[in-house]
Amino acid sequence: MNTKRMVLYILSLIVSFVYLYMVWIFAPPELNLGERIRIFFQHVAPALIGYLAFGVTLVAGVMYLWKQDLRYDLIGAASIKIGLVFTTITLLSGMIWANASWGVYWNWDPRETTTLILWIAYACLIAYRASVNDRDVRAQYGSVFGIIAFPAVILSYISIRIWETLHPIVITGEGLQMGPEHGMTLMVSLIAVGLVYLLILDLTYRIDSVAERLMELRMQRSG
Amino acid sequence: MGSGLSYALAIAKKDLVTQMRKRFEAFSMFLFAIIAVFVLGLVLSSATFIVPDPETRLIVMTEIGAGMLWVVVFFTGMFGFSPVFISESETGTLKGLSLAPIPAWSVYLGKVIYGFILMGLVELFLVPISMGLLGFTFAADVSPIFILATFCLGTLDLAAVGAMASALTMPAESKATVYPIVYFPTATTALILLVEITRMLAIGIPLVGPGIVDLLIILSGHVFAMVTLSATVFHFTLTS
Repeated sequence: MNTKRMVLYILSLIVSFVYLYMVWIFAPPELNLGERIRIFFQHVAPALIGYLAFGVTLVAGVMYLWKQDLRYDLIGAASIKIGLVFTTITLLSGMIWANASWGVYWNWDPRETTTLILWIAYACLIAYRASVNDRDVRAQYGSVFGIIAFPAVILSYISIRIWETLHPIVITGEGLQMGPEHGMTLMVSLIAVGLVYLLILDLTYRIDSVAERLMELRMQRSG
Repeated sequence: MGSGLSYALAIAKKDLVTQMRKRFEAFSMFLFAIIAVFVLGLVLSSATFIVPDPETRLIVMTEIGAGMLWVVVFFTGMFGFSPVFISESETGTLKGLSLAPIPAWSVYLGKVIYGFILMGLVELFLVPISMGLLGFTFAADVSPIFILATFCLGTLDLAAVGAMASALTMPAESKATVYPIVYFPTATTALILLVEITRMLAIGIPLVGPGIVDLLIILSGHVFAMVTLSATVFHFTLTS
């Protein structure tokens, strides 16, 4: 294992423990939300890192179309899977929070709805990629799909600014709209989830690269 | 030598002439839309039992009916837009389009224009029939310009997404299954905005939340993003 990877793994582990400590012990109950604030950190951080993951798919798609290098396609495809996992966590934690706050799991709130569409969009992208057999064509068309699917991310992000919604606007031009302890905890949450994203991206990329190489060898052997 | 736009118009004209000869595609789209409106209308008529008060029922029918109209257009689009590139690919004429000495984006734009006109023609008949069967009208105080802008932008958005989805479906194994999974996620963003705007046009301008102009600006942004993004990357779907 190389040094950079080792540093990433150790750093992720340390920051994850700090994240757990800050979310469950350090952060005080919020005035209105009470103890439910702890769900907030586990809801917002995966949501924002999920957006980032789909942004990485967009950039990787552009890079693949530009350079025609399959490594970018592998990164883009890996990022879709991780983005989907984080978006699933976002939806589930949001549902738990909604049930605790308003007594129902699903409110058809604009942010909820657009995030569910986002999840469906990228799940469809995975299904689409699986439907194309030729490796290069899959990379080419998958990259194009990854680019044109991105407006769904933008709509999900700006939905709370367009419509009346149950979701508060926490991140504004003037900074974070919360107390300093909660602001710090949110920042640590973002760093921790971001590091976990990088770690899983690295692992998925390596596994997919090996699987790709194995497939190439099988194809060569079969003639 | 012509401009990219004139090539796009020529491709749209070619497709429209072909469509006029075949006729069945536009007619099938229209029939599907009518069947969908009929079934939805039948389901909505149960509101008579659920909401006995006539005034409340009118509001409920207006809100739901206005949204349902775009749901029908959305699904009708799956029939209308899916063949725009798939048929070219199946008949072997796509090779000719990709080798033609014209910019790739004009091929895409030509298909969008064709899809827009085809769906527009269906909507000309579909909208009044839907208003009758689904039981909604546009509010008296809403300017017809807003109604026209909503339908033009909405149809253009769905045509832009539908044409690109058709291009992306070409290399897929099972095209009929794959087309909806490409079209649905990219078109749903527009669908949400269109349902919201049309609901506002039907019940009148709400006092709270975003106004019609705000939502039309966002819809225009989405149309612009989809057309420019798709036109920019379209040549990659012709060159593989």
